[in-house]
Amino acid sequence: MIVAHGISKAFVGRKAASVVALRNVDLCVDRGTFVSLIGPSGCGKSTLLRILGGLERPSSGTIDMAPGRGADATETVKTAFVFQDHSLFPWLTVLDNVAFGLRMAGVPKAVRRERARMWLARVGLAGFERHYPEELSGGMRQRLSLARAFVTDPDILLMDEPMGSLDAQTRLLVQEDLIRLWEETRKTVLLVTHSIDEALLLGDRVVVMTARPGQVKLDLRIELGRPRTMAITGERAFGELKAKIWEALRDEVERSLELT
Amino acid sequence: MTGSATELERVATATGDEVLDEALHALDAAERRRRRLDVTLAVATPAALLVMWQAAADTHWIDPKIFTPPTTIARSAGHLIAAGTLQSDLAITLARLVVGFAVGAAAGIVVGILLGLSRPLRSAFSPLFTGLYAVPQIALLPLLLVIFGVGETAKVLTVVAVTFFVLEINVVRAVRGFDPRLVEAGHAYGARRLRLFRHVLLPGIMPAIFTGLRVSIALALVVITATEFVASTNGLGYLVWNSWQLFEPDYMYVGLITIALVGVVLTGIIVAAERLALPWLRRSRP
Ligand SMILES: Nc1ncnc2c1ncn2[C@@H]1O[C@H](COP(=O)(O)OP(=O)(O)OP(=O)(O)O)[C@@H](O)[C@H]1O
Ligand SMILES: [Mg+2]
Repeated sequence: MIVAHGISKAFVGRKAASVVALRNVDLCVDRGTFVSLIGPSGCGKSTLLRILGGLERPSSGTIDMAPGRGADATETVKTAFVFQDHSLFPWLTVLDNVAFGLRMAGVPKAVRRERARMWLARVGLAGFERHYPEELSGGMRQRLSLARAFVTDPDILLMDEPMGSLDAQTRLLVQEDLIRLWEETRKTVLLVTHSIDEALLLGDRVVVMTARPGQVKLDLRIELGRPRTMAITGERAFGELKAKIWEALRDEVERSLELT
Repeated sequence: MTGSATELERVATATGDEVLDEALHALDAAERRRRRLDVTLAVATPAALLVMWQAAADTHWIDPKIFTPPTTIARSAGHLIAAGTLQSDLAITLARLVVGFAVGAAAGIVVGILLGLSRPLRSAFSPLFTGLYAVPQIALLPLLLVIFGVGETAKVLTVVAVTFFVLEINVVRAVRGFDPRLVEAGHAYGARRLRLFRHVLLPGIMPAIFTGLRVSIALALVVITATEFVASTNGLGYLVWNSWQLFEPDYMYVGLITIALVGVVLTGIIVAAERLALPWLRRSRP
C-alpha cells in the first residue's frame, strides 16, 4: 500500500530557473491495486515514481508504504523499479541480470538462479539464460526487465513507461504478458504511461495528472472485468472511459505545450 | 481445385527453403574462402619480403653490411642465445616492463577511480596530471636519474609513469561518463556503496581499463627501450644501442626483432585477457 501525502518537488537549477515538478500530490494506492498514471510530458510522473521508489527525495510531503505499522516500516517495504530504457546491466548474462536483486539481498546462488530461471520461463525467455542483453530484441529486453522486477517478489512495483520504447505490435504482446503476470501475482503497481489505451487496459484506476507543476487532476476507477484481454478495447465502456480521460488530459497537454 | 492449389503452395515453399539453404551455403563457403585468403596473405607477404630481402642482400643489390640478410641475423641470434646474453637481456627488459606496468596500472586505476568519484580530488589533481602527461615520460628520465641514481628504480619509474597516466586518464573519463541510469538501476535493486562499486561501477569501467592497458603496454615498451638506450648496460634496448655503437647491425636486428616480439606477445596477452574477462563485449561486437 502507498499513502503519499502533500508531495512537492522543486529542482534547483544551476543556471536556469528552478523548476517545480510536483505540487502537493496526494496519492493513495491500496494493496493489490494496479494504478495507471498518465499526464503530459514533463509534468513530473517520473519524478513522483522516483520519489516513491526512494531514488529521489521530495522537497516536502510524506510517504507511508506501511500505514499503521510505524515510521520505520516503510523502509522494510520492498519496491522494484522497471525503467523506461530497461537499464539492464550489459556485462551480466540474462540470468544474472534477473538474479541481480536477489544477489544484492543475499539470497544464496542456487536459490536465486532457480528463481531467476522460473521467472525467465514465465516471461518467455527460457533458453536465453546465457545470452547478454545486447543480443536480445527490444521486446525481449523489456520482458527481461519485467522478470528482473518480479523475481524480487516486491510489495510494490513501480514502472516508468516500461513499454515506451517498443513498436506497436511488440507492445501489445508485452502488455498481454503484463496483464497475465499481474493477475497471477496481484502486486501493488504504479505504472506510468503515455497511452490511454494502455492505462485503461491494465489499470484498476487511472490517475490523470495536470501539466507542470504536477497535481492529481482526475482519479478514475476502472470497472472493467478481469481477466482482461485485448478484446475489451472494443467494448463501449472502454470507449467511454477513453473519451473521459482524453477530455481531462487534453487541456493539460495543451497547457504543457504553452509552458515550454 | 483447392487441394491442388495448396499442393502447389507447398511445393513452392519447399523449393523456396531449398533456394534459401543453397544461398546460405554459398555465403558460408564464400566466407570460409575469404578467411583462408586472409591467413594466406598474412603469412605469405612477410615470407615473400624475407625471401626478397635475402636475395637482394646475397646479390649485393642492397648492402648486406647494413641490411643484414635474414640467414645471417638468424646465425647471430644463435650466437647470442648460445652465449646466454639474449635470454638475460630479454629477462631484464621483461622484468622492468612487467614490474613498472603492474605498479603503474594498479596506481592509475585506483587514482583514476578516486579522482573520478571525488570532485575535490579531481579539481586538485586532474589538471596537474594532464599537464604532467603532456611531458614525454622519457624526458623525465634525467630527473629520475638525478633523484634515484643510475639504479633500477629510475628505469622502472619511467614505465610506471607512462602506464599510470594512460590508465588514470582513461579511468577518470570512464567513471565520469558512467551511465547514471545503470547506477540508478543498481541502487533500485539494492546495491549500495561498496556493492554498487563492486557490482556496477567496476564491471562497467572494465572496457576502459583494458583499452588503457592496451595503449599503455605499447607506450611502455617504447619508453623502456629508450631508457635502456641511454641509461642501461643491459636489456634489449641496450643490445640495440650497443650494436649501433659497435657497428654490428646483425645484433641490432636481433634486438629489434626481439623487442617487436615482446610487444606482440604482451599485447596478445592483454587482448586475450580482455576477451576472457569481457565476454559481453566480444559477443555484441563480433
Ligand atoms: N534531475 C533534475 N534536475 C532538474 N530538473 C529536473 C530533473 N528531473 C526532472 N526535472 C524537471 O522536472 C520536470 C518533471 O520531470 P519528469 O521527468 O518527472 O517528467 P515526466 O512527467 O516523467 O515526463 P515524461 O512523460 O516526458 O517522461 C521536468 O520539467 C524536468 O525538466
Ligand atoms: Mg518520465
